[in-house]
Amino acid sequence: MTLLLFLLQTSWKPETWFGGQVLERTPAGLSIVYLIGVAVLLVLLFLSFLRNVRLKFAFEENLPKEVKRKLSSTVTNRSLKIWQFIFIALALTVYGFHVYWTYYADKNNEQFQALSYKDLRNRRTNAARLRGWMLDRSGKLGSALAFYKVGKDGMVDRTFALEKEMAHILGTERGTPGLERTLYKQEADPMPEAWEILTKIKKPEEEQRDVRVTLDRDLQAFAAQQLQGKKGAIVVINPQNGDVLAMYSNPSFALSEAETLEGYLKLEGDKMNKPLLSRSTREYYVPGSTFKTLTMMSAFRAGQESLMFPDLAAPECYTPFKNSRPICDAGGSCEICSTSVPLREAYKVSSNQYFAQLANALGRTRMGETAQLVGIAPVETPDDALSQGFYPDIWNASNKRIANSIAPIRSTMVTGSKLTLYDFGLEGMGQGLAGQMTPFQMALVAAAAGNLQGNLMKPRIEADIPPQIYAQVLTPDQAAQVREIMSTVTEEAGGTGGVVRSKLSGTGISTGGKTGTAEKQAIVYDQKTGKAKTVTKKRKNENGEMVEYEDIVKYERTDGWFICIAPLENPQVAIAVVVEDIGGKFGGQTAAPIAADVILKARELGLLGEQYKPKTQPTKKKNK
Amino acid sequence: MRNRASSHILILLLIVVLTAISHYAIHYGALIRGYETSTMTAFRNIGLLFFLAVLPIFLTRFAKFQGNWTLYTSAILLFSIGLTVQYRLFSDPEYVSKKDKAEARQEKIKTAQMHYIQQYYSAEKKQIMGLPPSPPSEVDLSKETPRPAEDSLFGTLFSGRTLIPLFAIACFIGVIWLFRRDDVLDILQKNGFLLVVLTLVPLLLAAVTSRAGKSIGNMTPWEPAKIPFLIGFAAILSVLYKNLARTYWGIPRAKDVIPLVFMAVLPFFPFFVLKDFGQMMVFSSVYVTLYVIAVRRLPQRFVLVGSVLLLVGVLVVGALPEKTQEKIPLLPTLAKPVKTVLPDRIQQRFHLWLDGFNPPTPETDWWKDDYDDYYKDLVKKDPNLPNLLQEDPNLQKSINVDAWFDILAFQPAQATFGLSSGGTTGRGLGLGYVELIPVSDSDYIYAAIGEELGLFGGLLVTFALITFVAAGVRTALEARDMFSKLCAAGLTAFIGFQALVNMGGITRALPMTGITLPFVSHGGFSLITSFVMLGMLMAFSHRNSVDKQIEAELITQNR
Repeated sequence: MTLLLFLLQTSWKPETWFGGQVLERTPAGLSIVYLIGVAVLLVLLFLSFLRNVRLKFAFEENLPKEVKRKLSSTVTNRSLKIWQFIFIALALTVYGFHVYWTYYADKNNEQFQALSYKDLRNRRTNAARLRGWMLDRSGKLGSALAFYKVGKDGMVDRTFALEKEMAHILGTERGTPGLERTLYKQEADPMPEAWEILTKIKKPEEEQRDVRVTLDRDLQAFAAQQLQGKKGAIVVINPQNGDVLAMYSNPSFALSEAETLEGYLKLEGDKMNKPLLSRSTREYYVPGSTFKTLTMMSAFRAGQESLMFPDLAAPECYTPFKNSRPICDAGGSCEICSTSVPLREAYKVSSNQYFAQLANALGRTRMGETAQLVGIAPVETPDDALSQGFYPDIWNASNKRIANSIAPIRSTMVTGSKLTLYDFGLEGMGQGLAGQMTPFQMALVAAAAGNLQGNLMKPRIEADIPPQIYAQVLTPDQAAQVREIMSTVTEEAGGTGGVVRSKLSGTGISTGGKTGTAEKQAIVYDQKTGKAKTVTKKRKNENGEMVEYEDIVKYERTDGWFICIAPLENPQVAIAVVVEDIGGKFGGQTAAPIAADVILKARELGLLGEQYKPKTQPTKKKNK
Repeated sequence: MRNRASSHILILLLIVVLTAISHYAIHYGALIRGYETSTMTAFRNIGLLFFLAVLPIFLTRFAKFQGNWTLYTSAILLFSIGLTVQYRLFSDPEYVSKKDKAEARQEKIKTAQMHYIQQYYSAEKKQIMGLPPSPPSEVDLSKETPRPAEDSLFGTLFSGRTLIPLFAIACFIGVIWLFRRDDVLDILQKNGFLLVVLTLVPLLLAAVTSRAGKSIGNMTPWEPAKIPFLIGFAAILSVLYKNLARTYWGIPRAKDVIPLVFMAVLPFFPFFVLKDFGQMMVFSSVYVTLYVIAVRRLPQRFVLVGSVLLLVGVLVVGALPEKTQEKIPLLPTLAKPVKTVLPDRIQQRFHLWLDGFNPPTPETDWWKDDYDDYYKDLVKKDPNLPNLLQEDPNLQKSINVDAWFDILAFQPAQATFGLSSGGTTGRGLGLGYVELIPVSDSDYIYAAIGEELGLFGGLLVTFALITFVAAGVRTALEARDMFSKLCAAGLTAFIGFQALVNMGGITRALPMTGITLPFVSHGGFSLITSFVMLGMLMAFSHRNSVDKQIEAELITQNR
């Protein structure tokens, strides 16, 4: 006996009672023991009750049957027995409701599922569970983008290296989820049952939840710096493998501002600046002349790259049909009046007339095909153009949640047969019904040209998954030709993107690109109140009376665009830059310098390849 | 395993052992979360149960008790489950403390995070975080310093949680002694009416003085009044039931019906004023039970059952959510007058019951005030909110949803999520999040059981209840006279229905009302009442077996 006690004392290690593994096994195992024990006792109790036969009075037994049935105590007893059955049935019904909530509500009750975010348990398990760390493309812990730190109060705080610069990518805890809520490996079941803890959950051999993303911490910070004080977006993608190197939208917000409901509502209510909106992926812009790149790619695909348009109807502009409005070159100049301008020259000077005619010559089907291959949805009517939703499938992502969280809205162009030649001509030069492009989408257009094989690589944000091809857009040879034509804009005298060349002089990097300047109808906001400006107008109502109503004031906002690829012989970055509201300037003056600076920064960081890295600063080594 | 005290004592002792195991599980689960549980309380609970386990020895030895022990054992089983869940809840600092809730919660979260970091983070990561760089290592609970429990011998021994059960047990013994005497029962049977009136006077006083109902903390001092009401009703019915069968053109005489109706309706006044709708529900179902059992004529039964069903139907239809009503033609017009009469509280409960996951519109009259208060608080924090609302009508909807789930639907919704997360075997004692449900120690204790012990635990409670009711029904079956038969049946029905109304409220089979789960819930007067009822039932059971013995002796003598 004493020996037994001694043995018990030495092996008094509750952790090991149920096989070790996780600490929770001990209480889980004990509560199952408890449950089984109580069940056994209940069975014993019930058995003893059943065997304990009811006492009956002898006189009851001896009475004749007819009398017995009429005896009041017998009638009452019969009712009592019936009542007992009813009660048991009721008790089991109530228990059935319990079964419903545990087994079926999860799967069948839609309201219940939709509101599961109101379950505080989820919040508690999420709060207690540490997410992985988000590392930038270098994979070093020291340059982590999201990590944990012990705060002043001793609590473990999630900390972001680029809280404001990456806000749209990381996403708030409140609104639509971003990478922060989707990127990390999910626990199979954050709230396991006792028997699952006991039988299924084992201590994992090696816990690796950290994720390396393709973003470069320094480039992202630099991109954000470039847009300070402006509204706009920058997207930098590696055309060869689809790595997203930087993606930023300004105005942005700090994630800590969006933590409280009040802070979030404030951000949401700022309609003038829309800080919560990711302009790079979720805002439509009119692409302007940058879209001519797509028209040009369509021409190559159709084998029509040598088309020229000698017979202009009106003397200086292109008039698609009789009585149509003419399509002219910018500022009333006439870039192709000599009637024998080739594609290369037209692209360099960004001739509207040429590309409008080219689009009509290629036709809607061919243009639509090319659009489809770069991820743009060709749609039938202008109404369809605004209702295509998000396009997560463009991403090369390890799961749908991640793709959804950073999905761009689908860019669209109208290729329906009901469009006039004038309308479609406008689309060919990036105006009119082609005005639903995201900066992200235009970066993909540049990336398709920049890929050596002529493929559009699916963009990816996770660095440790293999690259994927979205579509073969051009042949390698065609792609090389397109790049050469793109280089005329930046490298040749008279190109609209000449500022890039001057900024990159001496680095030995040649680039290709396309500028764009586009007008978009935008709402005028009162700078003081932040509200939309309105004017009072009058109109007739149904009864024919004049009534006053408030109309929102709109104006033509000019946005500057630049898309480019660098270095030309083996492009490592495809960049799209949009700057909103540039006044009377052009994309070549506003967006192009920013892109040039980004290329310089990428060079410095070694993202363009070792041979381009500046030799003078060997100390600033960042990447292998 | 006959009805011998010894076998029941064995079961009771095993209950003590199992409760000790469950308490240890809770203690260990608490350590994982970084706090200690009170050892004193654990020993107090075990001691209490041990006392209850050996109590049958004294009752058989010195009081010559011969009744059915199944009643007792199943009640104590329920009581022990209740003690376990209460121990789980009351040792959780997040549940207990009023001021430092957030702090206690943060501390628990931090403990979990630190355990993870210790186990999985490399030295380099720890250094970046600002922790001493140490390689990943196992968590050793014995080396940690959990948040200490507030533990004092005096505090534990003389707290209400010790004294009330002890008092309840004392009452229980006293009642057994009292109700086994013929003269006591005789007096009660003859003065049923007086008894009811005497109870009514203080009760009505209490009802008038305490407006909101729960006046003394969370207690319901009118709980024991249920017993005299029941005895009074049984007394009247046991006299009148034969007369009721004597009908003229199918209608019983008025002088037989009126006192009965009077007695049945009386108790509803105080409970209505006190807004204790759960008690009303239990009372009406018990009265229906007694009436149906005692009255023989089928048509008379149908009249009663039919009118009760009609009343319930009118209530349900009146309180049905508008969306459901619109689907059936004419229903909205029919329901309108009922709606205007029904108190806000009933409408709230009905909405929560039938459509709890769907917030009512902010214009709904019984929800408007709460919503407006919530909205005002929000505006205080962000004065810009009214402007935002004008621009975006969807915002109001999301505020309404937040308000609904923060105020009225908070408790029932969290309870339902808890039931759902429990699954078959529950999350395990000390491993769930029962502390998130407010008052889950009393009204919502079934939700706590469902979460940590799962469907299986719920089934055990249900079966323990069924066993208790079956034993109670047998007591009634064996009763010699109508009065004790009706009393026994009424008491059994009382405890049974009270449990069903409570469990049904949590599982949404019925609207939620604030009544307790007998023997399981933590409570003052309700626990005492439950034990008194148990004592009465056992006294009746004792009388039955004594009668049987006397009869047996008579028979042998005559031979």
